[in-house]
Amino acid sequence: MAESLLAVRGLSKHFVSGNETVPVIEKLSFTLGQGQSLALTGRSGSGKSTLLNLLCGLELADAGTIVLQGQVFETGAKIARQKAMKWSSLRRQQIGVVFQEANLMPALTLLENVQFRAQLAGRSTASSQDWLTRLDIGALAQRYPDQVSGGQRQRAALAMVFAMEPALILADEPTGSLDRHTADEVTQVLFDLQARYGCGLILATHDAELAAGCQQHLDLGHLSSL
Amino acid sequence: MKGLPSLLASFSLPGALFSHYRRHPLQLLALAVMIVLATMLWTGVNHLTSQARASLNQSEQAVAERQQVVRDDGQMLAVDDFVALRLVGVCVMPWLEVTPETGNRLVGIDPLAAYCFGSRNRPSPALDQPLNGKPFLDMGVATAIKSRDSRLYLLTPDTTQTADLPGGYQLTSFSTSPDTGELGDSFLLNLEALGILVLLITALLLRSVYLLGLVQRRDSFALLHRFGVSPDRVQRWLVFEILALALMCVVPGVGLGRWLAAGLGGGFGQALDGLFDIPLYAGQGQGWAMPVLVMLAVVVIACLGDLLLLRFRERLSLILPKTVYSGLAALLLVAGLAMAWLAPSLPWVFIAVALVFAGAGWLAPYAVARIARWCAGRSTKPLALWRYRELAVLARRLTLPLVALQFALAMVLAVQALVTTFEDTFDRWLGQRLEAAYYIEVPAGADGRQAAEWLTRQQTNTPGLQWHRVMRGQAQVTGTDNANNPQVDVFAVAPVGALIRSWSLLEAADQHWEALDSGSGVMINEQLARRQNLSVGNNLKLRLGNQQRVMPIQGIYPDYGRPVGEILLSAETLPDSFNVRFESFSVTPGKPGIAQMTDALQGIWQVEALSMRDNGTIRELATSVFDQTFALTRAMTLLTLILAAAALLMMGWVFFSTRAWYFRLLVAWGMSQRQVAGQLLRLALLLTGGIAVLALPLGIWLTWVLVHRINPLAFGWTLPMAVYPAFWFELGMLSLAVGLSIAALMRRQLGRPAVAPVSASALTGGER
Amino acid sequence: MIRHGMLLLTLFVFLGCSSDNSDEGFAGLAGVEQSVRLDTPYLQPGSGDQLNFPEDFGPHPQHRIEWWYLTANLETTKGEPLGLQWTQFRQALQPRAVSESAPAATDWPLQAAWMAHAAVSWKGQHYFAEKLARGDVGNAGATAAPFQVWLDNWLLSGNEANDRWQLQAAGDGWNYDLTLTIEGEPVAHGEAGFSAKSASGEGSMYFSLVDIAIAGEVTLGGEVLEVRGKGWFDREWSSQLLKTGQKGWDWFALHLNSGDKLMAFRLRDESGSFLSGTWLPAKGAPVPLGADELNLKELERREGVPVRWQLSVPDYHLAIELSAPPGDYLNSGLYPYWESPVSVSGSHQGEGYMELTGYAD
Ligand SMILES: Nc1ncnc2c1ncn2[C@@H]1O[C@H](COP(=O)(O)OP(=O)(O)OP(=O)(O)O)[C@@H](O)[C@H]1O
Ligand SMILES: [Mg+2]
Repeated sequence: MAESLLAVRGLSKHFVSGNETVPVIEKLSFTLGQGQSLALTGRSGSGKSTLLNLLCGLELADAGTIVLQGQVFETGAKIARQKAMKWSSLRRQQIGVVFQEANLMPALTLLENVQFRAQLAGRSTASSQDWLTRLDIGALAQRYPDQVSGGQRQRAALAMVFAMEPALILADEPTGSLDRHTADEVTQVLFDLQARYGCGLILATHDAELAAGCQQHLDLGHLSSL
Repeated sequence: MKGLPSLLASFSLPGALFSHYRRHPLQLLALAVMIVLATMLWTGVNHLTSQARASLNQSEQAVAERQQVVRDDGQMLAVDDFVALRLVGVCVMPWLEVTPETGNRLVGIDPLAAYCFGSRNRPSPALDQPLNGKPFLDMGVATAIKSRDSRLYLLTPDTTQTADLPGGYQLTSFSTSPDTGELGDSFLLNLEALGILVLLITALLLRSVYLLGLVQRRDSFALLHRFGVSPDRVQRWLVFEILALALMCVVPGVGLGRWLAAGLGGGFGQALDGLFDIPLYAGQGQGWAMPVLVMLAVVVIACLGDLLLLRFRERLSLILPKTVYSGLAALLLVAGLAMAWLAPSLPWVFIAVALVFAGAGWLAPYAVARIARWCAGRSTKPLALWRYRELAVLARRLTLPLVALQFALAMVLAVQALVTTFEDTFDRWLGQRLEAAYYIEVPAGADGRQAAEWLTRQQTNTPGLQWHRVMRGQAQVTGTDNANNPQVDVFAVAPVGALIRSWSLLEAADQHWEALDSGSGVMINEQLARRQNLSVGNNLKLRLGNQQRVMPIQGIYPDYGRPVGEILLSAETLPDSFNVRFESFSVTPGKPGIAQMTDALQGIWQVEALSMRDNGTIRELATSVFDQTFALTRAMTLLTLILAAAALLMMGWVFFSTRAWYFRLLVAWGMSQRQVAGQLLRLALLLTGGIAVLALPLGIWLTWVLVHRINPLAFGWTLPMAVYPAFWFELGMLSLAVGLSIAALMRRQLGRPAVAPVSASALTGGER
Repeated sequence: MIRHGMLLLTLFVFLGCSSDNSDEGFAGLAGVEQSVRLDTPYLQPGSGDQLNFPEDFGPHPQHRIEWWYLTANLETTKGEPLGLQWTQFRQALQPRAVSESAPAATDWPLQAAWMAHAAVSWKGQHYFAEKLARGDVGNAGATAAPFQVWLDNWLLSGNEANDRWQLQAAGDGWNYDLTLTIEGEPVAHGEAGFSAKSASGEGSMYFSLVDIAIAGEVTLGGEVLEVRGKGWFDREWSSQLLKTGQKGWDWFALHLNSGDKLMAFRLRDESGSFLSGTWLPAKGAPVPLGADELNLKELERREGVPVRWQLSVPDYHLAIELSAPPGDYLNSGLYPYWESPVSVSGSHQGEGYMELTGYAD
């Protein structure tokens, strides 16, 4: 387990709405090995997106420890800015985030998006076109996001994520707004590439079938507040 | 189930439409406030302009009818001339200026003769007032007064033409005191042109705010459509809605505008009263109906213009691709520029200005987008690429507020230059006419030469004494293409001293003052130069008294607003036969003070009192009149600018907010918030800075048009064109401040988690 | 025409020469003058005064007010009726004896003010123009021999025998130029020319030329109309006209087809009215008509102005109706009054002119 990609210990997060404190994640612990995939399931509002945000530093936990690629993030760290910078650099180079939608800059073409992301990660842009081709949208490289279908957009988002050669992919219902058939295709590509390039994957989904394709399974179950 | 949509359609459609504003009261408030402010602004500007015009007209009517009849032979007019003219049906009225042996100048008039001027064309509003002595008297009484000096003028209405006159007479302008009319008219004409621009800017602002609201209501419209409400019905309700809102907001807006103008502008008339010593009524006259109707029309056109033009636009966009659009805009711009350059008359210049503004307004956002894309194409850094692409999107999405800001910037630029130029010109104009501290008239029968000799003797031992003797009369320019040799005013001075040498000249030969002093040359005013197409170095053929002279032109001096040709020459060179109509001394007394000087002159001339004018007070009064107008104009245009800037700020912020998700995406991709904020700052500054840069040429061009095209065409003289880079810098800073504010607002948004857009539509900021 | 006294009074209030209107006697006219020189009083016309020709065609500087008044019923070559008026008034501000010479023009004296009116009525349209001038300066005045009355470029001038006159006047966009042939001698009204204007004996000197053949051109907005027809010319002067309480005046001058003519006027009063006239038979001497020999009755008003009248003179078996043509004939000058042609029907046919004052307000 020393070689684990990600280790989470006693992670807690609550939101304050009005004068009420709503706990979303409570004392959650799990680990993810290198190149492993984990399915995150649970009802709507159970905290899937919140957890993914915590895992890439877009939100900060109230308590607990996250160890990612050997870097340790503890709550209550003295220098918040340093922590934020560490998270930023991790997101830039190690963690690829895929949202349900709108993963692309609307003013850039698909190819430019991939190149942009690759360059941010400090990778070469030479293979950007290849990534698009590998995801079957090579011919659409010069199109803008609003000129392609939803499935093609998500393929481009995956191309972008793989082009940055991440250690960990966090995908938040990446096929949630696609039809069954397209969703299956896109997930298949995701699993294939993840397996081939050996990066870790955490996939938040409502879909039991999709979850079954992952090696591990974490169910946030019920709404934590209930 | 069929019942529900129809029920909705028939009963609660307005309710459903309005429910949007119930949820977003701020949007409704923004629109209402914008209508009120726009109305207030335009009404204020408009009201002020007409008020100023009325006041100026009144003053002009009071102090000077435009025309008088004079004899071709330059002889003084007498009662016989009056009778001769009346008997052939020319409407003339006697105006007898008499200077009593003691007391102020009086004017004799004949109200019976004035009757032919008609009630609208009365030579003086004072005629309606009882003539209880001063300054107007009946002709008979005025004639009977023992006077040092008297002179008869025959005034005639504007409608009198040269062709109406019998042989031996001609028309010239008539003024009794420094006539600011032309200068004022010119200023007001320009102010009016700018008023139209303000209207345009307010229309653009209104439209942008309205469209913003409309975009945010698209969802509700789609929903209504699904419920089976026809788009036509929705549109009808939208028309009704905006009309109702406009009605509610325009009236208070007009009220506020009037209040603003009245509060600020009241002093204008008062200042004029003070200047001309005659109670003048500062015109109110302007009703409510006109501004209310104009603003209603503006609101409706600005907000619903495309509803009306929709079909046409659809057809147009089918035929014309985007590039043709911008090509057309460029064509408009070029055509406008060319037309402004070549236009033979005022209406053409105004059309040209309209074309240039249309072209520039159309082109500017496209140009920004184009340049941004071009930069994007050349940039190798991904972030730069992204930034330029975003800029292109912003420029296109914020077209209206950007154009409004651009116009407002251009206008403020032009107004600033214009007002400063006018101030300057006015100052110089006053300076030229009132170059000395005092004017002392030479009493009738007294010898000016004696006084000149005395002053020459004083010169050596009186520090600060500056003076010259002025003789005025008329001469005829001969040897022109013009068959009837034009009569020009003669302004003869001696010595050609420091007072005259301080005049600024438009054009001058070497050693011009020396040449003037030695009598080997003349100077002419701008009007004469323009009319006779004369320039420095040309020879001017003159009939002075009974002598024919040919004199080289040594210089051309600006003579702001004087419609008559004038020549300046040394009084020493005047022939004895020259008919001196008026003689005076311009004196700056220096150390001993004026009292000592007048005592001495009274002694020399053997008179009890002198007719003297203290130029300092006149100058002060005249300056105060214009100062206030200038200040008001500046305030109004600045208000326009602030409104435009606020609108851009609001629109910019709203638009940036719709794209917040994508800015957050940059954070998700590993950029720090600080970096992203930096990018947003650069983006916003690029946008507003770019528009300021684009406004600059437009503003300078507009200044040029106002000063060099409109003014000469309307009044026959140019104003000096001046540019004020320091002010450009200030405006640039203002634009950047708008950019900074947008960026600061966005930075706060970045801190909050953004909601992913549901679909990549124009509604949610996914446009490119 | 009393109102012209009022008019000039108004004018001089406007001029500011007037002190307060002491409203005694005749409409406060006494208040008009600044300095009435006691050695030259105004002459008051009275019973027994005689007419003198040609002097009485000229001005009467020692009388307060007078006028030269021409009305004409003309026809164009197409037979369309055209009415025409020319009037010139003089109002003295200071009386001057006939023997005394006029003041120098160079002094811009203000002993008299002149006013002229010209009007043309055609096809229901009424064209009117008004001119004012001060006397003794030169652009307005009158002389008896040669006979001339002028104000600016409006001029009535007679030949040496004074039986042929030329008349020119012009308004805005219209003008006329007429030749008048005077037939017959001047007709004196009232008592050898003294025409009483009230029961208590005040009155004016009044004579007319009633046989005037007119031919000439009237130009209206570029259209030149050849006209001919007949005219009626009045000369009247006085120093006292309107009694306090008198409201206005109705005046008629009629050419009947029978060759007879009739002048009648009524001065309206708060308590009643003063009616008078002259019967001018085709052959024979004029007959003054007293109040009991004339009947005058309004039949119809148009916007406050009586435009149809019944007039009868039982002694001469005259029972006629007078009516103005359609249109508005208000002379809207400084002091508006009605001046229109009328047609005559009933026991006699004919045409004439009607002047009505004091209805405008
Ligand atoms: N910024 C926030 N402020 C307050 N409450 C929040 C915030 N973000 C999320 N929550 C709440 O936290 C809970 C978990 O939200 P989260 O988005 O993680 O759920 P989810 O499992 O991703 O749901 P879904 O399947 O619908 O995406 C919800 O009850 C949500 O309302
Ligand atoms: Mg979620």
